[in-house]
Amino acid sequence: MSDIPTGSISIEDLENVQITIGKVVGAIEKKASDEGIEVGPTPKPGISTLRDWDYKLLSRYQPVYTPVCDQCCYCTFGKCDLSGNKEGACGINMEGHQAREFMLRVITGAAAHAGHGRHLLHHLIHLHGRDHPIDVGPSNLLAPNIQAVTGIKPETIGDLEEVMDYVEEQLTQLLATVHAGQEGSAMDFESKALHGGMLDHVGMEVSDIVQISCMGMPKSDPEAPLAEIGMGCIDSTKPVLLVIGHNVAGVTNIIDYLNDHDLSDKVELAGLCCTAIDMTRYQMDKGGKPYAKIVGSLAKELKMIRSGVPDVIVVDEQCVRADVLAESKKLSIPVITTNEKIMYGLPNRTNSSPESIIEDLSSGREAGALILDYDLLAEVSTELTIKMSKIRDEMGIKALPNEEELREIAARCVQCGACEMDCPDNLPIMAAMKAGAEGDFTKFEYLHDKCIACGRCDQACPKEIPILNIMEKASQKLIREEKGYMRAGRGQISDPEIREEGVNLVFGTTPGIIAMVGCSNYPDGTKDLYTVADEMLKRNYIVLMSGCSAMDLGMYKDEYGQTLYEKYPSKFLAGNLINVGSCVSNAHITGAAIKVAAIFAQRQVAGNYEEIADYITNRIGAVGVAWGAYSQKASSIATGCNRLGIPVVVGPHGSKYRKALIGKPYDEDTWKVYDARDGSEMPIPPSPEFLLTTADTIEELLPMLAKNCIRPSDGNLGRMIKLTHYIEMSQKYLGQMPDDWYKFVRGETDLPIAKREELLKILEKDYGWEIDWKRKKIISGPAMKLDISSQPTNVKRLCKEGC
Amino acid sequence: MAVDTTRNTQIYTTWGRKTAKPVKPDVAGKMISKAKRPLMVVGSGIVGDETLTEKTIIIAKKGIPVAATGHSMIVFNGMDVDAKYINVHALAHYLGDAKWKGLDNQGPYDTIFFLGHKKYYLEQVLSGLKNFTDLKTISIERHFMQNATLSFGNLRTEVHLEALDEFIENL
Ligand code: SF4
Ligand code: SF4
Ligand code: SF4
Repeated sequence: MSDIPTGSISIEDLENVQITIGKVVGAIEKKASDEGIEVGPTPKPGISTLRDWDYKLLSRYQPVYTPVCDQCCYCTFGKCDLSGNKEGACGINMEGHQAREFMLRVITGAAAHAGHGRHLLHHLIHLHGRDHPIDVGPSNLLAPNIQAVTGIKPETIGDLEEVMDYVEEQLTQLLATVHAGQEGSAMDFESKALHGGMLDHVGMEVSDIVQISCMGMPKSDPEAPLAEIGMGCIDSTKPVLLVIGHNVAGVTNIIDYLNDHDLSDKVELAGLCCTAIDMTRYQMDKGGKPYAKIVGSLAKELKMIRSGVPDVIVVDEQCVRADVLAESKKLSIPVITTNEKIMYGLPNRTNSSPESIIEDLSSGREAGALILDYDLLAEVSTELTIKMSKIRDEMGIKALPNEEELREIAARCVQCGACEMDCPDNLPIMAAMKAGAEGDFTKFEYLHDKCIACGRCDQACPKEIPILNIMEKASQKLIREEKGYMRAGRGQISDPEIREEGVNLVFGTTPGIIAMVGCSNYPDGTKDLYTVADEMLKRNYIVLMSGCSAMDLGMYKDEYGQTLYEKYPSKFLAGNLINVGSCVSNAHITGAAIKVAAIFAQRQVAGNYEEIADYITNRIGAVGVAWGAYSQKASSIATGCNRLGIPVVVGPHGSKYRKALIGKPYDEDTWKVYDARDGSEMPIPPSPEFLLTTADTIEELLPMLAKNCIRPSDGNLGRMIKLTHYIEMSQKYLGQMPDDWYKFVRGETDLPIAKREELLKILEKDYGWEIDWKRKKIISGPAMKLDISSQPTNVKRLCKEGC
Repeated sequence: MAVDTTRNTQIYTTWGRKTAKPVKPDVAGKMISKAKRPLMVVGSGIVGDETLTEKTIIIAKKGIPVAATGHSMIVFNGMDVDAKYINVHALAHYLGDAKWKGLDNQGPYDTIFFLGHKKYYLEQVLSGLKNFTDLKTISIERHFMQNATLSFGNLRTEVHLEALDEFIENL
């Protein structure tokens, strides 16, 4: 370890010469020891550092590949047909290639978040300086993912630069392995994917803690304000400025401009996707009412543009449709791009005067502009919106067909079926057209919520019927009613909250955490999210939301007109509903699990990833649900959870991620761990049964969630509660007792009290267990014992000495 | 009159060069009757569709074991058929494992057929089976499933139901 300090030093006699020492080998350990922090064995792990841990996970949860394409076209040896697991010209087989493809998706997602984080970090260091303190709420463990992975304990935003350096370097190394003639082993690609997923949570954490610290966002605040959401809450009588994307940096300048110029009640500021979430967090740490409104998720993007309501569109990065400019042009909506990731071929006007840009865009001379200076952006976008609103009114822009035209257009349909075949969900468009031609548009209303507004049907139709527009026009009444509330993202779960709830999670008396994350590619509309969250909340699970799921959940109300955000409190306690925030806030979900290990169980966190992951795997009943996962980011978020042993279920479209990680409950050898007290082997129940899998419907999903919250560490009360939910939800949604419920019974006290006698009878009759009926006790039968002081671990080195 | 289920095999995108052969209902029915260990894999798509449910149960009542995936189990309860719930992704995994003894512990299956699934979801499951197992897979869905070994073509709902009747007659 070196004694050279990092930072700037001057050398005597060499005036004006300054040498900056950024990194020194062993610097993390030295800084940590100076501060009295212990650093574990793996600070800043490389690709191979945690490979043994990955292989442990992968031996229980094996990759299941479902290729989306049987070919590989990566290099000019090919393209190669790999069907039937054949090898291509370079020697890679189908399994290896699928694992490579999956890893590429993961690091693409991780790069999107890390790129976002780096951009925010640059921007906010420029505004606030490196020494701006990290302030995320009442916590000492400010950055659980960052600390567990890198060993760095950041205190200022400048400290995060070294973290980003590490993430970027690792992502480059991972990307290098995609090249032809590199890795040939599917298992090692899987381990690399897990590495990429872990890095993603570090990059996300950097992004969110830097914006929370500098942008006045809520800091672990259970009372974060409610923000209006839904296409119906947009006041189209005002000039409407629509922002789309994920990076709120430029939008904060727009909000400031509106406030400074007294325009906030004159211009309607609306947002789509995570930028929308984050703009409702901006400057809300002291309370207040978010001024910006949320339209919704990606699935509303094309619908919102086609509605013709926006007067100007500002895009930043991620999940922005590639045809925003083309679609907007048709309706005379100028588009401003603000981030190098999306520039749409527009001229760079960063150095132009606001007047000249406004003139060029409002006259239609230019369809849009690239503006990378956010003060300029704020002025141009706001003033242009006000101007365009008048111009577009005078032009009499008509976006959607009127009622009479609707029927005429529907009558053009020749029932060829091309639209249905090309629709990703094969929605029944033909029947809706048939009814529409007869003046009945209710079938289109039915399709409205199920349609993800991809526009593929429009592209397919030989009669050039604007199918999406018909659907939108026919659903105007529904759209007007689309109004709800979303609780603004609160950021991290704080240390005191973990202290209070950790014990309940580890012993299972709080039956589990259900984290509903990800995008809007739902198999059957947005309402499903509401149904799942409501059911789990009623059953006292903690439900955590983020990203597009957090938005879509706010769109529905119960019979008393309340959204779930209004109905349930948002502390980190059983039966509470928390919105952590946008896509990058997903790091707080894994962060909460890491905090339980660090704070409740006092495990060393810094640079000690494997031990933390091992703790979470065996003790924290958390399951992720990415029901509408579509993006590469969703795969990296899920994979980052997976490396910590947190299972994730994706909706049926998630099968197109090409791979799942599924265990075999019938292979008993894989369901064993060590007891850290003496190193002996102990059997564990087959839960979680998978690390990544799909479900067909929410009725299948719900009992899966209950079952996969079961953990070896459950106390008898906890196990009884979890088993009760598993049995009840199987009965409710599948109409039967689950086939495997008995596998989770260690003794009679694990059985639901109300059903104990009945279940004991079944155990005796169907499974041959021996029951002492006088004492109502199980004498023999269970595959494992209830031993509350056992210490399940997958890692031999963590067992007590001598084993 | 026999239903021709083989005419329309249009697809939206392709997986590669190995594509299902279109099959007629009588041929599919006979293949399944000849199979030693057939398995019918049913998806949630049958729930709420009375006619489809009825036909699925008729098939199951012929003594064919059923993997009730998604939440299709709800229609088999109390029907006196050999149906067991299983997640379809997990099923795809286990089907490729020589050590798996089947849903009933009676050993591996040789011919597997599918009904009531989301098209895109089943294509993925079939893609896994096509690439990593030697199993014969038959789709009797309304859509042409290019990753099966054999599949009905794209059919209108009425024609599909007729095709299922003919399939049942030949079991
Ligand atoms: S990378 Fe390998 S499998 Fe892919 S095209 Fe090149 S030679 Fe073929
Ligand atoms: S826009 Fe809607 S209806 Fe059209 S193809 Fe996409 S999902 Fe289907
Ligand atoms: S593609 Fe066009 S013409 Fe064909 S069925 Fe669909 S709407 Fe009708």
